[in-house]
Amino acid sequence: ATEWNVSLWGKRRAFTEHVEKLAELVDQKTDGAFTLNISYGGLSQNTENLDGISIGAFEMAQFCAGYHEDKNPSITVLELPFLGVSSLDQERDLSMALYQHPAVVEDLARWNATLLMPSPMPQYNIAGSGEAPTTLESFDGLTVRATGGIGDAMSMLGAVPTSMSASEVRQALDSGVVKAVSFAPHAHMSFGVVETADWWTTNLNPGTVNCPVVVNTDALDALTDEEREALLGSVEEALDHYVDYYENETMAKWWPTLEDRGIEEITYDDSAVESFKEMTAGPAATAWIEKNSGTIPAQELYDFVQDKLTDGQS
Amino acid sequence: MAGRSSVLSDDTLLSRLDLKLYTLERWLALLSGLAVFALMVLAVISVSGRNFLNQPLPGYVDWIQQAMPLIAFMGISYVQRDGAHIRMDMIVGQLKGRPLHAVELITTLAILLLMVLMVWGSWAHFSRSFDFAAPMWSRDSSFDIGLPLWPAKLLAPVAFFVLCLRLVLQVWGYARAFVEDAVRPVAVPLVEDAATQAAHEAEQMTGAD
Amino acid sequence: MDTIEIGLAVTGGLLVLVLLGMRVAFAAGLAGLIGLIWIFWSKKGYDPAEFSWALTVATKTAGQVPHSKVASQALSLIPTFILIGYLAYYAGLTKALFEAAKRWVAWVPGGLAVSTVFATAGFAAVSGASVATSAVFARIAIPEMLAVGYDKKFAAGVVAAGGTLASLIPPSAILVIYAIIVEQDVGKLLLAGFIPGAFSALVYGTLIIALGLTIKGFGPPVKGFTWRERFVSLPPALPIFFVVFIIILFIYNPFGGDAWGTPTEGGALGAFVVFCMAVWKGMRWREFRDALLETAKLSVMIFTIIWGVLIYVRFLGFADLPGAFSDWITSLNHPPIITLIMILLAYAVLGMFMDAIGMLLLTLPVVYPAVMALNGGEAVTAADSAFGMNAQMCAIWFGILVVKMAEFCLITPPIGLNCFVVAGVRDDISVQDVFRGVTPFFIADGVTIALLVAFPGIVLWLPSLV
Ligand code: NA
Ligand code: NA
Repeated sequence: ATEWNVSLWGKRRAFTEHVEKLAELVDQKTDGAFTLNISYGGLSQNTENLDGISIGAFEMAQFCAGYHEDKNPSITVLELPFLGVSSLDQERDLSMALYQHPAVVEDLARWNATLLMPSPMPQYNIAGSGEAPTTLESFDGLTVRATGGIGDAMSMLGAVPTSMSASEVRQALDSGVVKAVSFAPHAHMSFGVVETADWWTTNLNPGTVNCPVVVNTDALDALTDEEREALLGSVEEALDHYVDYYENETMAKWWPTLEDRGIEEITYDDSAVESFKEMTAGPAATAWIEKNSGTIPAQELYDFVQDKLTDGQS
Repeated sequence: MAGRSSVLSDDTLLSRLDLKLYTLERWLALLSGLAVFALMVLAVISVSGRNFLNQPLPGYVDWIQQAMPLIAFMGISYVQRDGAHIRMDMIVGQLKGRPLHAVELITTLAILLLMVLMVWGSWAHFSRSFDFAAPMWSRDSSFDIGLPLWPAKLLAPVAFFVLCLRLVLQVWGYARAFVEDAVRPVAVPLVEDAATQAAHEAEQMTGAD
Repeated sequence: MDTIEIGLAVTGGLLVLVLLGMRVAFAAGLAGLIGLIWIFWSKKGYDPAEFSWALTVATKTAGQVPHSKVASQALSLIPTFILIGYLAYYAGLTKALFEAAKRWVAWVPGGLAVSTVFATAGFAAVSGASVATSAVFARIAIPEMLAVGYDKKFAAGVVAAGGTLASLIPPSAILVIYAIIVEQDVGKLLLAGFIPGAFSALVYGTLIIALGLTIKGFGPPVKGFTWRERFVSLPPALPIFFVVFIIILFIYNPFGGDAWGTPTEGGALGAFVVFCMAVWKGMRWREFRDALLETAKLSVMIFTIIWGVLIYVRFLGFADLPGAFSDWITSLNHPPIITLIMILLAYAVLGMFMDAIGMLLLTLPVVYPAVMALNGGEAVTAADSAFGMNAQMCAIWFGILVVKMAEFCLITPPIGLNCFVVAGVRDDISVQDVFRGVTPFFIADGVTIALLVAFPGIVLWLPSLV
């Protein structure tokens, strides 16, 4: 029997449903001959999951590209602000396509890792307490927990981005260290932002984080054909389950949560969002390409993503 | 108020090496104390920046994470030299002479084995974050402002290597004490009963009031 | 052998190493590393050709732990809290505190002893370490108690017991360590320590007054301070309250507005204020260097235990031992509260022989999940839980109970560190004397722990406001 250890973190939640589903499917298809042992935080720290894969301490892991961009510069292109992704399915297709790109494969090969599937997340939006920023101008001086590209984008509005780990966010918001937080809806709920928040922006959509699931390449090669087929052949179904779960379970809780707690929904008009995008998207992309051109074909990857997105719309 | 050391010295080569290494260890420990002080200054800057200028220190958390290994690792050998790492000495406290030196020799060899492996393991951890070809030689960076992590990761194998040197001296010291059945062995921390040890700790808190 | 059996075998080996007197940090690290090698090798069916693979993977896995676990913002509180304690000494704050306590409360029966308890409680609010607190007050308070006719055993006992308050009343290094192991909010835990700490001090004070009333010639009240003298004694001690106030403001703003920042910043800012005072009081580079060296020494001792034990914990993760233990605990046929009391009693026995920090680090990774499971799991609501509180509150409550147990261990024979420290400061007092003098406080601590178990509200009221 083949047994794989899988390193996730936190607890079971929408964000880990595809891995749970994958374990279930693989077990079924091989009649228990191939099992995935999922551990939540017992095998590694989340920022060290790629290290663990590279060592061979476990065979599968999830991580977020933005935790350590120097480890995985090629996939941070998916974290640029205002890429123009509008649905989970689009995010999923885009990620899957990019994960096959030779430059990306090579980037992850440095860690002996093969990209298996994304954990598509909806666009981040901002929830906060106190007076709501009903116009983009009112972001001026607002302290906001935002990281990476989203943080840069926020500072172009005059907001003051502060970084902290997700588990510290609740206290920072309660204590007023930050007035607002940028997260996907499930994280706004699971990290307690909704307990304190007075408002939430519905359509700022400044970007998201990219959190792939990877496998150890040697371990993948060592599988029997049947086992490999059971694993790789279950990815699409696991992702279907994930997207379905996010849209129907998580979002089904999200809207009543907003209503129950009287959280005001702020919707900006299209021209305002468009001007925000113009202000930030271009410079951020240029900076990203400049920074990474030495190590990866940054321009090519950026164009690849843009092409994919245009294809998707046509 | 610096604690009285319970390590004896004479004019043997072992003892002279012990004192040489001790000088280095003290400097490394002081470095770690200064890092604690720096942490304090950093917080003052961060708080005043945020409250008076509405401009938090960019990457405050990243900088703290960079300073922590300095505090946590650099003094490790200094503490081992003085025999101050916590242990339960109910049993060794009862032993004297050869049996005592034999047990100390065995446990010190066990620590040496661990630390040699830890130098290897932590060096591997460092080298995964280091790449001569990359900008700033970095293959792993911090969350917020993307500081390269390799300098902080390098501190572990460096401090552990110094500890290995110290352990080699102690193995030498215990082996010699065992062979010569020494009553007052040099270059190794002497077993003190808990009360004497406490007297040392207490002594550190006195002398200035 | 399955992984659970490997987990148990390695844990047994670790106990042997610790008993043999191997430094706890390295014993735990070595046990964890050997355990990892064992687990990885067993995956390859103990094939001799695969041993070097198992060794490499295990070593590299262990090699990640020191840096990745230590580079944490929350842990940065520990050295800062330690530094505050050393600097407060140079700033003359300890002496001022005792003087003020004496002038204000020494008129009650057993007055000087009660003053000592309140002064240690006050110093506890700037000091993160119990042992340091006892050492300082052994110098300041015991001579004055002896001068007015206290039994020297009891005088020593008061100081040893009073020192333990430093780890409940924030700042507290040991509460931070608990918060890190169980991944709970540091600020809330620190806040939760206030009332139980003050409560412990009150129980101590009540016990002393009762003894003073019943035993003839126990310790006379010290009277005759004028109101003027009382008020004059306050200003030199005020900086303590100022520092306490700063730290509180960074955790929770009692005026209803925003807190000023994070506990990390509060601790560091408190240290900065005390630093300025010490400089103003004439601290020179020599003394400052010594304070830094001592801080570094204590910090590195604690951090080495932390990463050493976390290597062992990483191995436990691969062996899945905590999961198995908590399954076993929840399958027991006792009412949960009985199981909890048995766990606390086990800590009392273990703590007779072990250092507080080492004890918590070694046991909590296995015991904490079991206690949480006992209460009904990580997602349980107060209504469905065994102890009548949600998971987060249970984590806080259990944390305070365990830390109080760990403090209790500092005064119990045969290895009661605080008692050794007091005897060490005073040549005329033996360790046996201190253990005898501290005995009444076992009763006080027993009462305190029983009340904290019976009325969790004492612990949970303050953190539930935030
Ligand atoms: Na304290
Ligand atoms: Na004890």
